[in-house]
Amino acid sequence: MNPNSEEIINRWMPQFRKGLLEFIILLKLQQGEIYGYELAVEIKKLTSIEVAEGTLYPLLNRLKRDRLVISEWKTAEIGTPRKYYQITEFGIETLTKMKQVWTNTHSSILNMVMQS
Amino acid sequence: MNQQFPIQNELAKKIWNHFEKELDHKIKNLPNDERYDVKLEILSHLYDSSINDEAEKEENRIINAIERLGTPEEYLTPLVSDILLNLRTKSGNPLAIAKSLSKNIQKSLVQTLTTIVFGVLYLFIIMIFIMSITHLFNPEVGLWIHHSGGISLSFETQDSSYQWLPKWFTLIGLSVSVGCYLLLNNLLYRLLKQN
Repeated sequence: MNPNSEEIINRWMPQFRKGLLEFIILLKLQQGEIYGYELAVEIKKLTSIEVAEGTLYPLLNRLKRDRLVISEWKTAEIGTPRKYYQITEFGIETLTKMKQVWTNTHSSILNMVMQS
Repeated sequence: MNQQFPIQNELAKKIWNHFEKELDHKIKNLPNDERYDVKLEILSHLYDSSINDEAEKEENRIINAIERLGTPEEYLTPLVSDILLNLRTKSGNPLAIAKSLSKNIQKSLVQTLTTIVFGVLYLFIIMIFIMSITHLFNPEVGLWIHHSGGISLSFETQDSSYQWLPKWFTLIGLSVSVGCYLLLNNLLYRLLKQN
């Protein structure tokens, strides 16, 4: 049985999202430090991307390992601990290159979409 | 850690503790520092998520928050293996690196074996299907039972043996091959979905 277009979109979206999430996280972190839960809420609100919130943590860990972000534990007003992430200088440098790649790719794809 | 995340309701506490136990189990391979860090971060997320949930009862808010986090396989498995791989590579210990690599090789071996097993099973199903059709034109094609006790699928008469249900072979063969084909497709679909 051949999949319908909805099924194909459902299959394509996770791959599409996966590639975009790291970029989105860095963009968000450029605006200021943020903790995991707040980041998940912001991503949902700004992009309508539905992700299992936990999947942000392997990504944040990878960004940290690659020295793009650093983290620090702080205590929230309600008394609970929160781990805040902050973009590094190297992260900003990498993000600038990512933005360039994104702009070029976005323009090329937009051109193709307009022509189709 | 429970003092850091005040849960009021008894049932909610039970759900929270159950999640914490499961979390402990999933991250047990991490060194102490990393384990504490991951656990605290996930529980902190869970607590924040639950207090911002709209459900009326505390236990429902926690259940909803657990659901939003996703399955442990989705986030804890990649997180734990990434941290372990990084630590082992950092340590420079050849044994630890070899251990990580062997884990990856094991994973690839399992995938290769699965592909081979599914390939053989599909071939077998296709063969039974072809034999079932061929049996209509050549009655010698079928399942032969040897007097010695052995069984063989054959395209020609076998010595010292008799044919098993020759009149029904086509019907049984077609039903079995179609049934097994659908079953195998289903199994493969589930397997791919899991991965």
